[in-house]
Amino acid sequence: MVSKAVETPNAGFDFSNYARNEFFGQRLQGIPKATSTGTTIVGVIFGGGDSGEEPGVCLGADTRATGGPIVADKNCEKIHYLTPQIRCCGAGTAADTEFVTNLISSNLELHALSQGRPARVVTAMTMLKQYLFRYQGHVGAHLVLGGVDVTGPQLFTVHAHGSTDKLPYVTMGSGSLAAMAVFESSFKENMKREEAIALVSRAIRSGIFNDLGSGSNVDVAVITKNGTENLRNYEMPNERGLKSRNYKFRRGTTAWTKESIRSLIVSEEIKSTSGAGKDQGGVEVVPVPTGAGAGGEEGMEIDS
Amino acid sequence: MNSVLTQLQPSAPHQNRLEEQDELDRTDAASWGSMAGFGNLDRTGGVQGMSIPRVSDPTSFLDMHTDNMSSNPDAKIKIAHGTTTLAFKFQGGVIVAVDSRATAGSYVASGTVKKVIEINKFLLGTMAGGAADCQYWETYLGMQCRLYELRNKERISVAAASKILSNIVYQYKGMGLSMGTMVCGWDKTGPCIFYVDSDGQRLKGDLFSVGSGSTFAYGVLDQGYRWDLTDEEAQELGRRSIIAAGHRDAYSGNTCNLYHVKENGWDFIGNYDVNELWYEYEGKKKAERESQNAAAAAGASPMAVEP
Amino acid sequence: MALYHNQPMAHAQEPTAAPIEHRFNPYSDNGGSILAIAGTDFSVIAGDTRQSEGYNIQTRYARKVWQLTDKAVLATNGFAADGNNFVKRVKQRLEWYEHAHHKPMGLKSIARMIQTMLYGKRFFPYYVYNILGGIEEDGSGAVYSFDPVGSYEREACRAAGAAQSLIQPFLDNQIYFKNQQPEPGSQPFIPGNLPLATVLSLVVDSFTSATERHIEVGDGMEIYIVMARDRTTDDLLGEGKLQKGMEIEELGTLGEGQGERTFLVRQALKRD
Repeated sequence: MVSKAVETPNAGFDFSNYARNEFFGQRLQGIPKATSTGTTIVGVIFGGGDSGEEPGVCLGADTRATGGPIVADKNCEKIHYLTPQIRCCGAGTAADTEFVTNLISSNLELHALSQGRPARVVTAMTMLKQYLFRYQGHVGAHLVLGGVDVTGPQLFTVHAHGSTDKLPYVTMGSGSLAAMAVFESSFKENMKREEAIALVSRAIRSGIFNDLGSGSNVDVAVITKNGTENLRNYEMPNERGLKSRNYKFRRGTTAWTKESIRSLIVSEEIKSTSGAGKDQGGVEVVPVPTGAGAGGEEGMEIDS
Repeated sequence: MNSVLTQLQPSAPHQNRLEEQDELDRTDAASWGSMAGFGNLDRTGGVQGMSIPRVSDPTSFLDMHTDNMSSNPDAKIKIAHGTTTLAFKFQGGVIVAVDSRATAGSYVASGTVKKVIEINKFLLGTMAGGAADCQYWETYLGMQCRLYELRNKERISVAAASKILSNIVYQYKGMGLSMGTMVCGWDKTGPCIFYVDSDGQRLKGDLFSVGSGSTFAYGVLDQGYRWDLTDEEAQELGRRSIIAAGHRDAYSGNTCNLYHVKENGWDFIGNYDVNELWYEYEGKKKAERESQNAAAAAGASPMAVEP
Repeated sequence: MALYHNQPMAHAQEPTAAPIEHRFNPYSDNGGSILAIAGTDFSVIAGDTRQSEGYNIQTRYARKVWQLTDKAVLATNGFAADGNNFVKRVKQRLEWYEHAHHKPMGLKSIARMIQTMLYGKRFFPYYVYNILGGIEEDGSGAVYSFDPVGSYEREACRAAGAAQSLIQPFLDNQIYFKNQQPEPGSQPFIPGNLPLATVLSLVVDSFTSATERHIEVGDGMEIYIVMARDRTTDDLLGEGKLQKGMEIEELGTLGEGQGERTFLVRQALKRD
């Protein structure tokens, strides 16, 4: 039988699933909703000038992930690793920010290997924007990209449609206005490192308390040419207090319809072996550092 | 207010209803707390103070903002829905049985709803569709029935009572009321059931089931129904039908309320947990099977027994 | 009201013959949650104080629970403008009733009145979920819950609002003992007669937990406790009965007073 399917063009965008999705959206109870990290993410450039400190970039993020009005994760990580000296904060669809940063991180590693030198922040930015533009905003990643390379500290925002900005202080996500209010009133050029960290965490706190999409803790990352300092849960202003009652249930609280107890061991016999599988002394198991790359920084732990 | 504006207004289809007075302007005796709280009702049976949005098509406004039968799940105002109700006549009167679940979308809003509305000592109304519509208008029907008694020195017939209700909802036809109700009672003619719904339909009959679980209830009801059922058999049939519907229909369940209407008025028979009763029935079935098997094994019965 | 009266004017100015109607949307959702639990001789009605729209907090203190009479407290949730206006009208009707009958309206009558008032706007509903709590004529604690168009029911407990689907299952388990088997040989659970201290801590835990997992719940909570006449207050006012961070105040009687007492407990909630 001859297929009557319309030949798909081999170039351009394919939106054929759009109508299908709309149709399902109407038939089901709305299109399934992705976990969105209603978020506050920020970054500032600091140091240099007459501050007498190494120039660098300070990034910050809250740790709330939401699905609609429900808090999906109270302490998620929104500062993603790209290279040892480039980090990327993600807002928008959680899965998209996660996968887009992972993908670009891999490509940057390959890029560094083929070029024989560390990738620059602009390179990361260009790769991100070209990737995102290709998907016309359907990959919902809104990013703050920061790092230090041979040209010095660099800070960008990358929008889901592919546009970018290069600024000394940036904010993104649903709490961006709350955070930007802090930056606009208190940002100074050539801040000291500690000043920058304090400003960033104040901006994130502003998002945490004034924007419902943001909440829980403050994560900070500080990048200078000497390396990256990860300040995970730098501030924890929202710890849960004690519950006033104990909700331990008595054993046997749950009803059952049937009880059957049986031995899973039907028959058992023990045989001795030559002893090859025995623990052999003298071989020490140590963690092996696996070099640079995603997750490699800390060195993968080997089960001991 | 200003006559110029009134002249400029395009004539809306519900123009007459737009002539509503503001609720606060009405300071007559009726709204001062007498009339059993129904202070906003006029003598014709319609509600005068019913406030209607000033848009050219109030019905589509209501559709846009309310979730009728989960047809508009995005709407903010969820109206409680979903039901199994049944009523049937037999030699001993009328059996009325209902479930007690109210749902708003997929959320079980309540599991303890009274879906039988006690209109008076001789009349019962059931609730399916909009909970508020049924509760309000059947309470109001109770008032009208009492007024009828006072005016005519005799009890109202089920036919007349159900017609009052059907006339009221017909006045509001197309405006979004949602009710499917059975008016049940005992009058000079004996036991009587009328089905009345918000489309204006009014039917007399021996046996009805209304709501999302009605198909399941009919299944049990039809196979067990006879006119000469004893009181106990009839009550058990009503109860068993609701349990079956409550078990299979996600929008029905929790508990079953059972009423029996007799010559001297209705009796409340009881409230039964659907889950508990279902497993009780299952247990009985299992025990029966086992005893049959045992009997077959003993060779007592020549009949083949299902394995 | 001006909004609605002006609406036809806009039509009149349209040059076209037929009026062009824009989607008229007078509703908004202001988040938050309310909850009420009845005891044998008391009733607890609580709500959080956050009012939000979308991701914005409009205020960290907006009242959602209102004292109506010496033995009735009403909690409203949904669209704040409708809620505030509804409470205002309920209070007005209660005052009219008192003038006409020389006594305050009883709880079950207030419940019925709320039904008729809500149903009066069946075709232009108040976007409000109401929970009425208080003391019945016979001295028992009561909770009545309503849907936006006036269907109502007396219950032992009810949660409504943004976090109702988080709180109600918890209450079903702890108050109605759903999905809990009693210890073999012991008395079966009887819902609706928990001591005040237990009820209060369930209310507090409901709200602190809802605050953890629902973005629209938080900032603070107000718990109203209505006590039947001649009931002891030791379990509320006694030394060490309140948890840390709670502030309590007794609300004076509104009328001549028949012995029922209303207390207001406030506690802070997380603000993120």
